[in-house]
Amino acid sequence: MQPAPTHEQFRHAILPEMTIDESARQDFVKSLKYYLATEVSPGNALAFENRVLPAFEAREQRAPRDHHEIRRAMQADPCFKLWSSMQRSSQEMMWASVITPVERQLDTLIAKAKSLPAAGGTLTLDPDLPIPSYHAAVDIHCMPGGYHTEFAADDVAEGAIYDRAVYIYTMGRMSPYNDDIGASQVAWIKQKFPDFKPKRILDMGCTVGHSTIPYADAYPDAEIYGIDIGAPVLRYAHARAESLGYPVHYSQQNAEHTNFPDGFFDLIVSHIMVHETSNTAIRKIMTESQRLLTPGGIVVHSETPPYKDLSAFDAFMLDWDTLNNNEPYWGASHELDFKKLAADAGFDPEKQFVALAPSAFEEGEARRTKVFQGGDFGGGGVWFLFGFRK
Amino acid sequence: MAEASVRLPRKPKGERPQYFADPAVDKLISIILSLAGEVAVMHDRHDTLERVMAARGLVSREDIEHFTLTAEVAAARDKWREEFLAEVLRVVRQDREMLERETNRTYQSVVEAVSK
Repeated sequence: MQPAPTHEQFRHAILPEMTIDESARQDFVKSLKYYLATEVSPGNALAFENRVLPAFEAREQRAPRDHHEIRRAMQADPCFKLWSSMQRSSQEMMWASVITPVERQLDTLIAKAKSLPAAGGTLTLDPDLPIPSYHAAVDIHCMPGGYHTEFAADDVAEGAIYDRAVYIYTMGRMSPYNDDIGASQVAWIKQKFPDFKPKRILDMGCTVGHSTIPYADAYPDAEIYGIDIGAPVLRYAHARAESLGYPVHYSQQNAEHTNFPDGFFDLIVSHIMVHETSNTAIRKIMTESQRLLTPGGIVVHSETPPYKDLSAFDAFMLDWDTLNNNEPYWGASHELDFKKLAADAGFDPEKQFVALAPSAFEEGEARRTKVFQGGDFGGGGVWFLFGFRK
Repeated sequence: MAEASVRLPRKPKGERPQYFADPAVDKLISIILSLAGEVAVMHDRHDTLERVMAARGLVSREDIEHFTLTAEVAAARDKWREEFLAEVLRVVRQDREMLERETNRTYQSVVEAVSK
C-alpha cells in the first residue's frame, strides 16, 4: 500500500504552506523513498546472499562475524552502491523540497509564531547556551543547519523544515501529527505502570514537540516540559503547541545539565534523541536524569532496536545512517549496555527495563514495510524502548 | 513571487559520501533523480489541469483520451521528440559525431603541436 499523500499532515496554524508544485515535489520524494525501500533495497539482501556472502566465505573460510564485516564486504557491491547513492540523493532532495517553501515564507512564519493565541505554555530561550559538538560538527541527518542554526531574528526556519520533513521522511506512518513515537511510548507506560500518575513530565531533545503533546493527552493533570538545544525548533514547538491548545513549557537547555531542581520530575522521556548525542553525553544525561527524578520516578527513551537483537545483515542495513546520513552516533548508540549505563548513573540495574512498544498509529500499519533499514524510518511498526526506575 | 529575505543553505555540513570510483557518477544519479522529480511535478500539474477543466465542463478526460492525431500534429510531435531526444542524449550522439568527423588524434597531441 502506497504511503499517505503528504497533504494528509495535520494543518496546524504554523505549518508552512506549499504551492501545488512544491507539494508535488514533496510527494515525489515520498514516492521515491517508498520505491527505494520496497523495490530497490531488497536487492541488497539478494546481492548479499547470492554473491557477497559466498565470496566472503570462499575467501575467509568462515561467515562474517558482525555487521562491520558485512559492511566492508558489501561496500563494493554494485547493488549496494547504487541504492546508497540514490538513498543519499533522496535524503538531500527531501530537505531541498521543504527548504524552498520555508525560505519563501519565512517572514510570514516568524510573524505568525509571535501572534498565535495563547494556551498558557511558556518559551524560555538561552542565547548563550553552547551548542554541543555532536550537533555542531556535522548537520544531523543531512538537515542543512541542524536544529540550532538561526538565519533571521526570532527564526523558526529549522522548526518548520523539520516538522514538514519528518512527515515526508516517515512517509506519513507516524500519524498526521508526526507523534507516533510519543503516543506509542506513553501508551506503553500507561499499560506497564497503570498506577503511575506523574505530576511533572520532561521531554528531552523535544525539537518541535511532536512526541511531547501525547503526554499532555495521556496525563491531563501533569505539567509538561520540553527542552532542546535549538532555539528555532523551540520557537516553532511553542507556536505549534499553543496553536493546538496545549500549555507546554519549552526551554533551551542541554539535557546533560539543566537548571531544574533536584527531584523535579516524575517522568523523563526522549524520542529518537539518544542516537543524536554521544557516548559521553548520554552518560551525563543519565546522571542528570537521576538527579532530576523523584524517588519512584521513571526514565524512558525510544530508539530503533539494538543491533544485538537483529541479524548481522539487518544490523548492517539499519546502520546505513551512521556513515551515509550524518548520524555519527547512530551505530554506537545501538550498542549501548543499558545495565552498565544504569549502574554508572546511580540507578539500580535491576530496575532497568527494555520493551518493544507497538505503534499507536494503526492506520499506518498497512503502509509499513516491517523492516528496520536505512531510509525507511517508522516502517518497523514497533518502537524499541529502554528505561530506568529510580 | 516575493523574493525570499533570507537564503537558507541546501548543503548539509559534513563530507558527502562517495559510492562510485568516479564522483561524477554519484552526481549524475543525483541529477537524474532530481530531473525525474521535476517530470513528476509537471505530470501532477498537467493532471490537475485536466481535472479542473473536466470539473468545469470545458474539456473532459475522454476528450483528451480520444483526441485523434492528424498527420500534421503527428509530424509536429515526431519532430519535437526527435529534437528532445537529441538534446537529452547529446552526450551519446557526440560519440558518433567524433567517430564520423575526427581522426584518432588525441587532444593532448593538439595541445603539444600548437605549443611547440
